[in-house]
Amino acid sequence: MSPDGAPPICLHNRLHFADGTTEWAGLLAEAAQHLGAPARYAGLRVIFVVASARAALAALVYGLAHDLDCGVVETARLSPEVGARFAGAGVVLIDAGCGAVLGQGGDLAPEHQPAHGGDHVPGRVTVLTSGTTGLLKLIPHSAATLNTFDRVKSLPANGWFLPYQIGSYAWYQMVALGLFMPGQDLVPGDFSDLAASFAAALRCGTVTAISSTPTFWRHALMSIDADLLASAPLRRLSLGGEIVDQAILDRLAALYPQAQIRHIYASSEAGAAIVVTDGRAGFAESLLHHADGRIGLKIEEGRLFIRSPYGNKAAAGDWIDSGDLVENRAGRIYFCGRAGNSMINVGGQKAFPADIEAHLLSHPDVIWAQVTARRAPLVGYLPVASVVLGRKLEADTAEAMLTAHCQTRLADYAVPRLWDFPDTVPIRASLKS
Amino acid sequence: MQRSDILKLMNTVLVKRGRAEITSPTQTTRDAGFRSLDFSETALRIETMIGAELAFDAASMRRIETVADVLDFFEAATGQL
Repeated sequence: MSPDGAPPICLHNRLHFADGTTEWAGLLAEAAQHLGAPARYAGLRVIFVVASARAALAALVYGLAHDLDCGVVETARLSPEVGARFAGAGVVLIDAGCGAVLGQGGDLAPEHQPAHGGDHVPGRVTVLTSGTTGLLKLIPHSAATLNTFDRVKSLPANGWFLPYQIGSYAWYQMVALGLFMPGQDLVPGDFSDLAASFAAALRCGTVTAISSTPTFWRHALMSIDADLLASAPLRRLSLGGEIVDQAILDRLAALYPQAQIRHIYASSEAGAAIVVTDGRAGFAESLLHHADGRIGLKIEEGRLFIRSPYGNKAAAGDWIDSGDLVENRAGRIYFCGRAGNSMINVGGQKAFPADIEAHLLSHPDVIWAQVTARRAPLVGYLPVASVVLGRKLEADTAEAMLTAHCQTRLADYAVPRLWDFPDTVPIRASLKS
Repeated sequence: MQRSDILKLMNTVLVKRGRAEITSPTQTTRDAGFRSLDFSETALRIETMIGAELAFDAASMRRIETVADVLDFFEAATGQL
């Protein structure tokens, strides 16, 4: 079924939706009914506009099976600005429910004919990311670059909960796992209410593995019944997408002592690069020196550079600046945040929000924490903290408690000076906070 | 802003840091343990309370040596708004 050069699709891997289970073969047939003959899309760079996870997965397997130049986007993400971005890239928007060409604003415009501007690359998969500016970016990938499991000979059978936003790089990575690795089923979550859909999936007993972010887990720990979480037969947990702190690793290890827990550092441009399985935050310095020949790591001026065959700049020798700041502490490399916004200059002293947040998160009452800089007279900037607590406390009491906690380890200039305590974990579309 | 309210804020900042409250406006900021970070935090808290940014004159800030100087400064800074 798969075109030459692309990994074969595991058509009998299953997908567990809330209303029933199907296989990729079934989704492919569904998509064919809606989208018609693949020849309709020949020569076009298409993005299938979808209204559900099921529609997205069906459209994607259809596109991959027929070597189309394609991607997916949710109807809710379309806007005149996004439409203009697509139009500028020569993308044709297709309604995944009926195969109709859509106007660039996402409305049904029957008079529009398929455009023939822009390039066309058979087998290209367009991944959508928000980039550092928040504007939509179109990152070209392929089944081969998305399949970061190609070096894995086999995996034990698992049902993976899929929490990511449709069309994002992390979503594609997990979908690729379900498409190309035998025995890997997917359990798509409802991004509009992740906690509820995760809880429902846990009750069904179909979830045995999950790849997600620390923020997702803090949200889940706060929102889902503790007994339900603890009883879930999770065998495999992967974390990534943002800095994975020691506190969340320790909490998950305590909750799921039987599970293999790993955290993965990856970026949409460089591809999966570092997998850590020792239960500790950061990664061993030795990884900088024992590159496996395919993936290279180096640190220059405190920034991490990566060379990976899974990146969209896969030419040999292309080092990609990850934009992530790192620090070597006693042979362990820790992530300190993103370049440009990860250090607070407090009267000439450097305070790192990532360090402060990690220490706050080590407090048993802290579910989520974010430290930012606030302009202040005399010293330039002061760190201020926003913290979600696991139990109800008066603001003054919480502030005193956490200030004392910070003072046990942090320098005086790094202790947050202003605090607020929101009720819930703010969670963005990327599942990051 | 009243001097008593400013003093109350300064003491809040000190006590949160585990330090003793100010005993007299004639205390030097050094003896009171009121440091530059505390000054900045006090300024931020005042700004939060009054909903406006304070203007800081670098020259006047260099003359701050005692608690009374700090009170004078903030009283003047908030009075100008």
